[in-house]
Parts: sequence; structure tokens; C-alpha cells
Amino acid sequence: MSDALLEAINPAMFWEYRLVLMRGLAFNAYVFFSSASVALAVGLMAALLRVNRAWPFRWIGTLHVELFRNAPDYIMIVWVHFVLPLLLGKLLGQRIEWPPFVSAVVALGFVYSGYFAETFRAGIQSIPLGHLDAGRACGMSERQILWRIVLPQVVRRMLPEATNQFVSLFKATTIVSLIAVPDLMYQVSMVIQTEMRPLPLYTSAALTYFAVIYVVAGTLRLLSERWRNKIYA
Amino acid sequence: MVEVPAIRVVELRKSFGTLDVLRGVSFDVHRGNVVSMIGASGSGKSTLLRCINRLETPSAGEVYIDGEPMGARVGANGQSSARPLVEINRMRRDLGMVFQQFNLWPHMTVLGNVIEAPIRVRGMSRKDARALGEECLAQVHLSEKSSEYPARLSGGQQQRVAIARALAMRPKAMLFDEPTSSLDPELTDEVLSVMRELAGRGMTMIVVTHEMGFARDASDRVMFLHNGQIEEEGPPEQIFGAPRSERCRQFLSKYRQ
Repeated sequence: MSDALLEAINPAMFWEYRLVLMRGLAFNAYVFFSSASVALAVGLMAALLRVNRAWPFRWIGTLHVELFRNAPDYIMIVWVHFVLPLLLGKLLGQRIEWPPFVSAVVALGFVYSGYFAETFRAGIQSIPLGHLDAGRACGMSERQILWRIVLPQVVRRMLPEATNQFVSLFKATTIVSLIAVPDLMYQVSMVIQTEMRPLPLYTSAALTYFAVIYVVAGTLRLLSERWRNKIYA
Repeated sequence: MVEVPAIRVVELRKSFGTLDVLRGVSFDVHRGNVVSMIGASGSGKSTLLRCINRLETPSAGEVYIDGEPMGARVGANGQSSARPLVEINRMRRDLGMVFQQFNLWPHMTVLGNVIEAPIRVRGMSRKDARALGEECLAQVHLSEKSSEYPARLSGGQQQRVAIARALAMRPKAMLFDEPTSSLDPELTDEVLSVMRELAGRGMTMIVVTHEMGFARDASDRVMFLHNGQIEEEGPPEQIFGAPRSERCRQFLSKYRQ
């Protein structure tokens, strides 16, 4: 019995296909970094709209946050890949399609931009207004104040929260196999189809994700703690 | 020839909603003069100071820096129009400001705080700015702290860094907004003595303060604000010796033990 179990979870299969699987994992990283960049950039813009003095801007920012934060990433990926091209195609009167990778990055990027927008907003609002006054009194422009005084502090304050969101986003990259982005899960499924041994492969895939996230998130937390401690003594 | 005042405030008014905080304030500050502003909380002292460098936009009235109106500019055709923010920023450089809460930027070192604006706003090279920064820190006797972060300094030291930060812009005048009000009594002296040194070197200063000792011996003129208006002004001997206004007398009696 225990021999059969050991045989069933033997990770040798994973080792045998390691190159294919690592290529898959690299693709996860690729999707992760691309969608994280989109999420950070769009999230920052939405957050700046949310703290704007003029209400139409605030309204657009809020709409963005509510729309994307409340949309399941699974459905967003499917929608961006299959529905959006159809809609645009009908509007423009021609056939439109884009590679699965683009859909995955856009969908995940926008869903997570909703979360990052809220993290950015909370960070921006936690900066004492006096810090801004001090910049203005020195003749700094609003743009210089944003990039030199506000955002550097926001980034430090939001790092712990952002680390959690990066972990969620990295986990979410596993569902891009759904639209045939050749990530780790996609490669695992392919190998399982030929080898017919789901147990060791899926288990190894789960352990791989665990190990990667554990190590990277741990390192990030350690670094951010050190970085923050210097300032908030 | 009539000297143009360093700062001229004309009929300044400021309302927040229905609350009139400033109700027509006018005065001149001449080059090298130190003017202390005293008065109860809510009398409009801080708002007045913040209107001078336009951290608050006045509801009416005008502030002139070396004869230049801060809120408006007069075009070649003689028409005056609202001054754009870019130009207001440029004029603000000439007015150093020190806040009650210090407002140092916690993510920068002491020297970083001092040289930030000279580099970004004046376009100084990092090397020149460092030399200037070290010089300004020496003026507030904090040369040895230049690579510390603000969180590691005492309140008095932080406020002296804030003074150095304002000095680094080589301002024509300095505005102090209750610079010692959030300091422990034993830390106020180090800040006040730096301010006295500045005054001794001929810096034009407007100081909002509750430190009557400083107002009495370090200023050329004292203004007593009440309800958004200048209730009484004059040389310190007059204000502290024989105030004409009953309100001023009442206010000062609270400071005498």
C-alpha cells in the first residue's frame, strides 16, 4: 500500500520533464511581471483619480476600482480573450484577435489594478499634508512633490500589503492555461495527457508554486522590513 | 527714494465657507526686520502666514514680495491677470517657511531634506548643493547629523533641520509658523537661539509665536491679532510695556506669572 502510494507521488516524472516544466514556470513569471506592471501603472493612475479634487475624476477612479475589483479574474480572462475581440470586431467591421498572452496580461493587470489602486490611495492619504506644504513652500511643483515626496513614502508604506497582492497575482497566473498560455499548469496538463500520471505531476506542480512563492515573498518581506525600519525608527 | 518693503500685505481677507478668518489685514515688513505675530488660537495668525506664501489662496487682498504682486501679474498691455501656479512656485522660493510640525521628509536623510529643493527647484548640481547643504546645517549647528534620518533626531534638532532646509533656498524672507509650539520646553531654546542668530544676521522674518520672550527681545515690531484683524501693533516696548488695547492687555496678562 505505502509502496503504491510512494510510486503514485514519485516526483521522478517531474524531474524527467523538468526543462519543459521550468519553461512553463518561466512563462508564469513572464505573465506575472507583465501583468504586475500593468496593474501598478493603471492602479496608480486610478488612485490619483480617486484622490483628485474634482469629483468627475474621483468618480471615474471609483468606477474603475469597483468594476475591476469585483470582477473574477477567471471571467475577465475569458471575456478579454473571447468577447472583447468580437465586440471590437463588430464595431470596426473586421475580424480582430490577439494572442492569449496579451489577453492574460490585460485581464490580470486590470483586475489587480483595482486592488493596487486602493493600496496606493490608502498610502497617498496616509502622507501628512504638511509634507506637501513643505514641498510647496520650497517652490517644488505638484509633480515633483508627487514623485519625490509622496510616492517614495507610499511605496514604503504599501509594501507589506502589496506583497500579499503580488502573491495573489502570481497564484492567479496559473489560470492563464485556460486560454492556452503555455505556463506551468498548461505544460503539466500536456505531460499528464501523454503520461497518464496526474498524481505526481500535479503534486509536484503544487509544491513548486509553494516553494517559489514562499521564498520570493519571504525575501521581499525581509527586504521591505529592513528598508522601512531605517525610516520609521 | 522710498524703499520697497520686502513683504507688503494689503487688505488681506480669507474665509473658509462662512467663517471669516482674516478680515482685512494690511502691514509692511521692511528688509532685515523681524516681526512677531501674537494672539490667541484661532485669531488667524497661521492662516495669515499661509496666505503670504499662498499655501492658502486669499479670498481678497494682495501680497507683494519686493513690490511684485503674488496673486496677479500685470501684462505688457497693463492688464492684470491671475498668476499661474508655475510663477507662484517661483515666487515661493524666496520665502522660506518653517512649520509647527517640522514636516521633514522622513524618507530622506537630513542632508537629503536640505538639498532636495536646491537640486530640483534651483537646478543646482548635486556637488554644489551638498556644499550649500553642509553650510546651512552648520548655521543651525547640526553638521554632524547630516547623514541621519529625521526619525533619529530630537524635536529641536528636527526643527533646526527644517530651518536649514528653508535657508538652503537662499530666501529673501523667512516665515515661522509657531516653530516651537510642539517642542518640549527644554528643546525650545535651541530653536529660538538659532532664530535669534538668523535675525542678528539681518534675515527678514515673520514669526507667529507664543514665545513672548522671543517676541519682546528679538523682534523689531509686534503685531497682536484678534478675530482676523490687527488689533494693535508697534515696537515690543509698546506692546509689552503699555499696550493700548484692552484685549491685548488681557491676552498678555495670561503670559505673566
